[in-house]
Amino acid sequence: MDNGARLRADGGRPVRAGGCDGQGPLRRGQEGPGRERRGAAGLGPILSPLCPGTSPRAAEAPRSGAPRRAGPRQPSEAVALAGAGAGGVEQKGAGRTTLLKQRPTALPDLDNETPRVMLKRIIRTQPQVSPLAPRISTHEETEEARSELPSRRVSSMGEMQLPDLVPENTSIAAFHMTKKRKKLSISEFERAADKRLPQNQGKFGKSSLPSSFYRSLRISLGSLIPPDTVEKRGLLRRPKYRKAIDMEAFEGGVEQNMLKRKAQDYLVDSQTASGIQTALLASDAEIMLSNTELFVQPQLDEQSQNKLSALEPQLSDSKTSAQRSKISAPEEARLAGLVSSVGTNKGRTQRYSKDFILDCEHIDRMSPVSPEPPANQQEEKQRHSQQSNPMEQLSGSEEVVVGTPEHHANSGYSEHLEKKLSKKAELEISAAEDARAEAEMAPSAEEGIAEGGVEHQGSPDAGVEAGSVGRRSHAFSSEKSGLKPLEEAVEQADDQADELEDQAITIELDGPEEEPTEDEAEDPESEGKKTIAAAAEVFAVSQRSPLQAKPVPKSSGASRRKTREPAVASSLIKKIFSHYVKMPVARDAFKIVEKCSERYFKQLSSDLEAYTTHAGRKTVEMADLEVLMRRQGLVTDKMPLRVLIERYLPLEYRKVLIPVAVSGNKVIPCK
Amino acid sequence: MEAAGAEERALLTQRLKAAVHYTVGCLCQDVAEDKDVQFSKQTIAAISEITFRQCETFAKDLEMFARHAKRSTVTTEDVKLLARRSTSLLKYITQKSEEITSSNMDAAKEGRAAGEQETAVTESEDSNMA
Repeated sequence: MDNGARLRADGGRPVRAGGCDGQGPLRRGQEGPGRERRGAAGLGPILSPLCPGTSPRAAEAPRSGAPRRAGPRQPSEAVALAGAGAGGVEQKGAGRTTLLKQRPTALPDLDNETPRVMLKRIIRTQPQVSPLAPRISTHEETEEARSELPSRRVSSMGEMQLPDLVPENTSIAAFHMTKKRKKLSISEFERAADKRLPQNQGKFGKSSLPSSFYRSLRISLGSLIPPDTVEKRGLLRRPKYRKAIDMEAFEGGVEQNMLKRKAQDYLVDSQTASGIQTALLASDAEIMLSNTELFVQPQLDEQSQNKLSALEPQLSDSKTSAQRSKISAPEEARLAGLVSSVGTNKGRTQRYSKDFILDCEHIDRMSPVSPEPPANQQEEKQRHSQQSNPMEQLSGSEEVVVGTPEHHANSGYSEHLEKKLSKKAELEISAAEDARAEAEMAPSAEEGIAEGGVEHQGSPDAGVEAGSVGRRSHAFSSEKSGLKPLEEAVEQADDQADELEDQAITIELDGPEEEPTEDEAEDPESEGKKTIAAAAEVFAVSQRSPLQAKPVPKSSGASRRKTREPAVASSLIKKIFSHYVKMPVARDAFKIVEKCSERYFKQLSSDLEAYTTHAGRKTVEMADLEVLMRRQGLVTDKMPLRVLIERYLPLEYRKVLIPVAVSGNKVIPCK
Repeated sequence: MEAAGAEERALLTQRLKAAVHYTVGCLCQDVAEDKDVQFSKQTIAAISEITFRQCETFAKDLEMFARHAKRSTVTTEDVKLLARRSTSLLKYITQKSEEITSSNMDAAKEGRAAGEQETAVTESEDSNMA
């Protein structure tokens, strides 16, 4: 039969929906009556679980007698679903023409039926209940064949009147539509139903029953659709709930920023700080060991707090930068001293006053201070003591943001400082703070995971400008709740780093910046584990930047501007980072990420150079990279490089990297 | 046989861990007296465990560095490469290695003796560093 043939040809639902559905049901309807008469009542219950739609459809088809219904189906909700399910099953049943005929005997043929067929059967069985209920209710409204409909739907294949057949056809079509597009809008169905209604009515000359039936179907369909869409939505990815920024971490970041500002060479010696330093360093280690964040939170919550309390936004940028430039090799000593000073000052400096004058005084005091650790340390202490006295009470709003007593105070101070930074004097102070923050960050860097502040340590050398500081403060205060403290610190560091780079890029770049291409080549591998390793390594690298940048603080700013080393495209970093973070990212955060990745690659290239030199070669080879990855901990005895390649690299790279032996005594890639 | 070897290795590991633990305890005691702080037993145990694991990592890395340079002996160069991660540590080690080489050259007239001492000192130095 043409219908049967068409059904056979129809591999999928869409084709059916195209036009054969109308005929399909019709065909089935033709066969249906015969089947039903054969014993529809008995078959009904049997068939219903198998193809609930089929039985009603079969019953309806002959009654509807509407072979003309070839257009898009009407949204006959329940019936359509049931019918469509049956129709679909029929189609999928290997395109049997006499599906109906086979249906009565086609009990679940598990052997021959495909999973798809079985699924369809299951789906068909689902809406069995719902369509019946509304149908019954709606049919009650109708005068004609009211009893027939419910009875037919429920079990017996009573003689289907034309109106029943009509809805069935539409239901079949609608079922297909709904099955395919669960999210189909009700209004759409209604519109289609309305279109069909006049046709059906015209064709069959039926009165209210079809329309009411369709309406009922529509209503039932409407009730059916939401659950599907709801289910589907459940599968969709929901925005993950990101927990709020940890206050401590936040404050830690604030303190970092402040330290950066005060990037003064707190070349405090290890004298007093030794004990504190070790203690703080130990705490840093603990913090770092226990920290599982993607980005190592500014570390030293303890340290930062201490430092934050001690730091005061009063050092001028120039002075701080100068002092930063003087950051001597014993960063540890510096940091230790700073830490000690911070610790001692912590109690004193509980309140930061917006006394810029005082700050300026401090700044003046700071500037002449030579990078001698003891001098700085003492100066800091003096500063802190002096500052603590005239310090005003922080604004309540600032403090409100803070949480825990110490931390909160620190964060409040940091915020307070941030606001101050907006002003020029504040900027200077912030610079000083950053310097301090950087110096203090050094201990954490020593631990192996340097915070962005360390990076800032180098950047302050470039001389943080007021604008940058203002930006930092603004960004910091505005985004403190949004960004991670690390990001904020890094952001600030970035601002400083920008300036630093502008002025002292060449120096920093000496060894590390060699092969941006190589770095990029490493990207695929490192991307897989980049965040943690990158953060760690970046921070480790940032440590040396201040040392490297030291020789060229500000003098050759003009020349440095031209010597801009090649950097990874920021758009690329943004894209990759956004992909992995799956969250909107602030622009400032991107900057920080870029800085981090730059440091990371600098460190990476420096290590590679060392390994290559160690092997007495001049060219970096795969072996060097393997050594690097082993050192990073990516490759272990349990995890060979090959597995990493297979896991993270695309197939093209794998083909190149992993030799594969094929028949014919051939190895790909050819060795 | 393998089981016995494994057992022996486990026993050796245990003894080594005990030695490290004892040394760490002594050091912590010195620090405690110096800084007037107390060290809990868990702290000492944690530090010794960390030290032991780090020593294992160091050993593996050193062997890897030596093999990377196509050598079969671990030298000061490998140790310096190992300490690159920490700039201050690297400086310190470089300093010490220079002292050692100079003292070796001064003290040992025989080149072979100097090489042996250097290796031994290197290894001991490494262990001290660890």
